[in-house]
Amino acid sequence: MPTLELNGKAYVVDEDGFLEDPTVWNEDVAKDFAGIEGITDLTEEHWKMINYLRNYYLQFGIAPMIRKLCKETGFPLNKVYELFPSGPAKGACKLAGLPKPTGCV
Amino acid sequence: MVPEQPHVQEVTKGKGAPQGAAPPGKQGSGAKLLPHQIMGLSYYMERLYPGDKVRRFLEIFAAVLQHSNYAQLVDTYARVGAKCANCATSCQIYLATKDPKDIPCYRTNLLLEIYRRHFTFRGVLQSKLTGTVYLTEERIRELAESVYHCTGCRRCSFECPMGMDHGLITHLSRYILAEMDITPKALVVATREQLEGKSGNTSAIPVPALLDTLEFLQDDIKDEKGIDVSFPIDQEGREFVFFPAVSDYLLEAETLKGIAVTFHAAGETDRWTIGTGYFDGINYGLFYSDWCAERIIQKEIGETMRLKGKKILIGECGHASRSAKLFVPTFGGGKDALPVMNIMEVTVDMLRRGKLKLNPDVIKERVTYHDPCNIARTGWIVDQPREILRSFCKNYVDMEPKGAKNYCCGGGGGTVSIDEIRSYRTKVTGKVKADQIRATGAHYVVAPCANCKKQLREVCEDNGLADVEVVGLHDLIYKAIVL
Repeated sequence: MPTLELNGKAYVVDEDGFLEDPTVWNEDVAKDFAGIEGITDLTEEHWKMINYLRNYYLQFGIAPMIRKLCKETGFPLNKVYELFPSGPAKGACKLAGLPKPTGCV
Repeated sequence: MVPEQPHVQEVTKGKGAPQGAAPPGKQGSGAKLLPHQIMGLSYYMERLYPGDKVRRFLEIFAAVLQHSNYAQLVDTYARVGAKCANCATSCQIYLATKDPKDIPCYRTNLLLEIYRRHFTFRGVLQSKLTGTVYLTEERIRELAESVYHCTGCRRCSFECPMGMDHGLITHLSRYILAEMDITPKALVVATREQLEGKSGNTSAIPVPALLDTLEFLQDDIKDEKGIDVSFPIDQEGREFVFFPAVSDYLLEAETLKGIAVTFHAAGETDRWTIGTGYFDGINYGLFYSDWCAERIIQKEIGETMRLKGKKILIGECGHASRSAKLFVPTFGGGKDALPVMNIMEVTVDMLRRGKLKLNPDVIKERVTYHDPCNIARTGWIVDQPREILRSFCKNYVDMEPKGAKNYCCGGGGGTVSIDEIRSYRTKVTGKVKADQIRATGAHYVVAPCANCKKQLREVCEDNGLADVEVVGLHDLIYKAIVL
């Protein structure tokens, strides 16, 4: 299993850089992972997305439908891409500590 | 020439990972070589058969020849294969790379030559006399690379003067390789979740999340259209049990809403249902393993029987439709098997019966239609979607070539799931499609297939087609339908 060293901490991740064990997530993980996703500073808008994803994941065990994510956070899809350059599934989910989406996603 | 083409990467022994094989920052220092790097494949393989790979390959090949119907086919092809390369001009990958190794019959011949040299009297005699073994690890690797270059679009089958179906040989090669664990991880992981995982579907969507999503979609329709439209759940005795590509429940809200609204508008909501026991149309077995394909098909049949449904209804997805259409009879009772329909067949029928009213003044932009290979190559679903689109899109244009002779989106055969080869997909295999889309000048590209949608969005993004919107057929119906 590859490990990722960020800010002096070692994270066990899969080969795409997603956290192997979603339960070890805390806010520091998001801060540490932001750099590899090309995000220099986590703003309030970033946290709104991350927290929404995280809470939905804890309740349902998966990320929400993208349309729902956009509607409930109030960010249109292009705004989501602005915040997370590699997109909601790859970028935002990674920072929120969700596993890598599988299938035709 | 072309960036990130998934070509063979030479392993430099003892020097760590080969250059460019792993994205920077994703591995700790001093990481061991990953299986795909040992094999030289530039997409990820989960594990590698630890023993003698040549022996293993031949054992599997022998077992397949003995226990399946492939034997006659392979034997015939090995005799008639003329290697004339007539197929080259029909292959969009060869047209993009101009690499002789991308000619369909070259690829087919990789497997056929193994057959000739190891399973025919003449070949075995030749090996005995010369004291050589034809198959090597290097040849296995070449085959593995080659069959995942191909998108399995089967356009080449039109051009072969001997009538060979190269797509089928690619499929067989992948099947043999899969039995020795050489399959891109993206496909294996999703299929494992579908067959053995807790959620039982490729996107790992638990039932409560599905129900939450359907409730959200109902609310969304209410917000946008002001009417109550239901997604029937677990209703017994309905005509259709519905299986979309399960990723639609994460990505394609408009398509799903369009389908629900179509049934509603026709007053036929009582014809369909979604089953919570199993709700995934995706069948990656079609791409790499008959054995997986069979078990996935059994899940579809099982859920339809559980709900006493009469037909299997597949959503907007090419490979899901073809795998069900082909394999439900194969694995589910032949002539007595459950009928399989694609959602577009149902919609066009409603339209013909005058049940749907579509406002021709809503979609003003130019619209074109992309034929997903899996439903168009045999001519199964070519005219139906065009009939629907022409009925309400004033500015409809076709691509050329189209229908059964269409070009693949470039992400067929399961390659769309492999993120590592995105630039190969968008710049090489998808190049011709980007040119086609550009030539139409269309704003909407209608691609009724989860696979094609994902691929075409990436193709447009990577080829400077920012203004193009890739949508499903029912996305446009949703916009234009009169309720």
